[in-house]
Amino acid sequence: MSTSSITNRSRELLADVSPAWFALALALVVATVAGFAHQPGLFVTQAVGGLVYGAILVLITLGLSLILGLMGVVNFAHGALFMLGAYLSYSVVVAWGLPFWTALLVAPILVGVVGVLIEVTVLRRLYGSEPIVGLLATFGLTMMLDEAIRYHWGTTPLGYAKPEVLRQSVDLGITQVASFRLFMVAVATLVVAAVYVLISRTDFGLTVRAGVQDGEMTEFVGVNLPVRFTAMFFLGSAIAALAGVLQAAEYGVNSQMGQTFLILAFVVVVVGGVGSLFGSVVAGILIGEANYLAPVILAGLAEYTGIAALNISGIRGLVPYLVMLFILLVRPRGLFGEEGLLE
Amino acid sequence: MTDANPTSTDRDAQTDTERGAHSETTSSGVFSRLPDWVGRYRIPIGLVLFVLLLRPVVALPFLLGFESVATTILIIVLFVAAFNLLFGYTGLLSFGHAMFFGFGMYGAAIAMSGHGPAPELGFLVGAVVGVALAAFVGYTLGRLTVGKGEIYFAFLTLAAAEAVYFIANRDPFGITGGSNGISGGAQPGWIESFRGELTVTLIPWPDALVDVFGWLDDWYLLVGLVFLLAMGALWQVVRSPFGRSLIAIRENENLARAMGIDTARYKVWAFTISGAFSALAGALMAINNHGASQEWLSVFTSGDTVLMAVLGGVHYFFGAVAGVFVWEFTADYLTDFAVLDLGFIAVDISRELSHWQFLLGAVFVVIVLVSPNDGIWGYVRAYAARGWARIEEVLR
Repeated sequence: MSTSSITNRSRELLADVSPAWFALALALVVATVAGFAHQPGLFVTQAVGGLVYGAILVLITLGLSLILGLMGVVNFAHGALFMLGAYLSYSVVVAWGLPFWTALLVAPILVGVVGVLIEVTVLRRLYGSEPIVGLLATFGLTMMLDEAIRYHWGTTPLGYAKPEVLRQSVDLGITQVASFRLFMVAVATLVVAAVYVLISRTDFGLTVRAGVQDGEMTEFVGVNLPVRFTAMFFLGSAIAALAGVLQAAEYGVNSQMGQTFLILAFVVVVVGGVGSLFGSVVAGILIGEANYLAPVILAGLAEYTGIAALNISGIRGLVPYLVMLFILLVRPRGLFGEEGLLE
Repeated sequence: MTDANPTSTDRDAQTDTERGAHSETTSSGVFSRLPDWVGRYRIPIGLVLFVLLLRPVVALPFLLGFESVATTILIIVLFVAAFNLLFGYTGLLSFGHAMFFGFGMYGAAIAMSGHGPAPELGFLVGAVVGVALAAFVGYTLGRLTVGKGEIYFAFLTLAAAEAVYFIANRDPFGITGGSNGISGGAQPGWIESFRGELTVTLIPWPDALVDVFGWLDDWYLLVGLVFLLAMGALWQVVRSPFGRSLIAIRENENLARAMGIDTARYKVWAFTISGAFSALAGALMAINNHGASQEWLSVFTSGDTVLMAVLGGVHYFFGAVAGVFVWEFTADYLTDFAVLDLGFIAVDISRELSHWQFLLGAVFVVIVLVSPNDGIWGYVRAYAARGWARIEEVLR
């Protein structure tokens, strides 16, 4: 493909964009620049914070999306599995006195086993039934997991020290960034890449996708589908637990984190589009960044326009829902959603 | 929704025939001596009996031993029944019903206490505003979300409720009281509170009649009256052509649409009505709990509502009654229960039992796996139907 055809194509794409969209994009860019110009240091710190937050969201949503897109089950217990991973890492580091690196390995495996137990005992009976039944069943499981966690670890927030190597901060010129946050982003990137390769480039991924398309035919060809679905469930749970370990090391654990992040993961799924892994990744980063940058941008706008009312305090937590509302109004199936899935 | 799984449709059809057979047995055999209207109005009769019997039963010393929980149970039954109009009858699972409850609760509490910029307005104004707001939000949110499939609907209601919770937590303009909620002065003038017991002073009895009619000044009775009116209204909705259409949508949406039902419109209105009745329950709770608290707005309230409805049996009008009763009863009974005395050994299991939600979660999972639509009430009905059939055989 020659360069001229690419420019032609992008010109065509630009011509498709309506003036309203163009104005909106321009306004967003101007607002972002204003936010950056107002407090550059804070802006970059917040941008990194948003990236880290987005990375955690992506990891949680990835497992949720995998299980939803491939098996058609909405796993409400996913938030609880994330929380279980976080609490287990606390136990590994504090109670058992092992290094953090073992927690990074042990917690996902243990939670993966719990996920397999859930799949074998409960969800396996529900494949092919209405998705709402799976949602209800996993909701009951969430309640049991939450209560079990409260029974074992109590309700007080806990935390532990990060490993020595990752405690320094990296100098970015205008601001300092904790190296652990960069580590979190790196782990998330690795996991996303690995999952992508697994699903789209291996025989295993191929057979799983085939099983989702037509389970009966795939089994005729000699593929052991139940084992593959159980493995996918293990993978989804383990990724959630990995996100939990990272979250616990950086921000500590509390008994509400599962529910909070589960709701945000649902928002990410809706924004990215149900059934699209790529959509989950983009939407996760988008929501993470929007969450952290909105206050800075609003502060910048308030400064330059002189309208103090623009600087709404506490807008941060509301941003994901506003993004979701906007997406729903302009593109109901989500950014990259397939039409008709679960509709 | 149902067309994905033929077996579930079969099972629904089967329960319907069972139900039909059961109502036939009520109108023949042992019950043939009862007049016709008993069968036709068995739900209102059951509701009146429930209101009359609930308080004496829970106050029995070997059960809970205190009465105040009875009022709470009535209010939550109303809330769950309103939720069930949407879930059990229309087939839409809302994971954010706490926000509607919260609209009623906060509306009433803000108006009564004169919180924030609002001057004291009185309970009725607040309750009406709360209910209207709930209906409006239900309608708008319904228009936005109803066409998107049930999983989407569950996500979106959950997210909307979380946003409402967040806004209340932020305390905009100082009206919602943030995480403290609203507690001071949230009591209408016609309620007197004495050591936590509420008395209604609406009717100025002459001194001579106080001894005769004084027992009518009972908060429980007022709640019971509102409960009966609201539940009666919900029952009318359910058995009206509108309600029958909702059931048609639940059973087979494509068929319902083919028959000429505007499914989206019916769903939106079911959501609206459900939201309004939930807000009514919330407004009652504002008086009962002396104000509004944030935990009632939280996701856990929404989740508990779903659990109670499914536990009771979503396809039955009395499912809400059964679910809430079992839930609240377990909560209070097991929390009080401290020592397991086996005669030869006594074990203190109060710590384990304070986590009773684990147990109910397990029961819930089993119910969903075995038969998600029937719950406890469906089980009891089937059992009772079998029992009656046996008795009739013996009598014949």
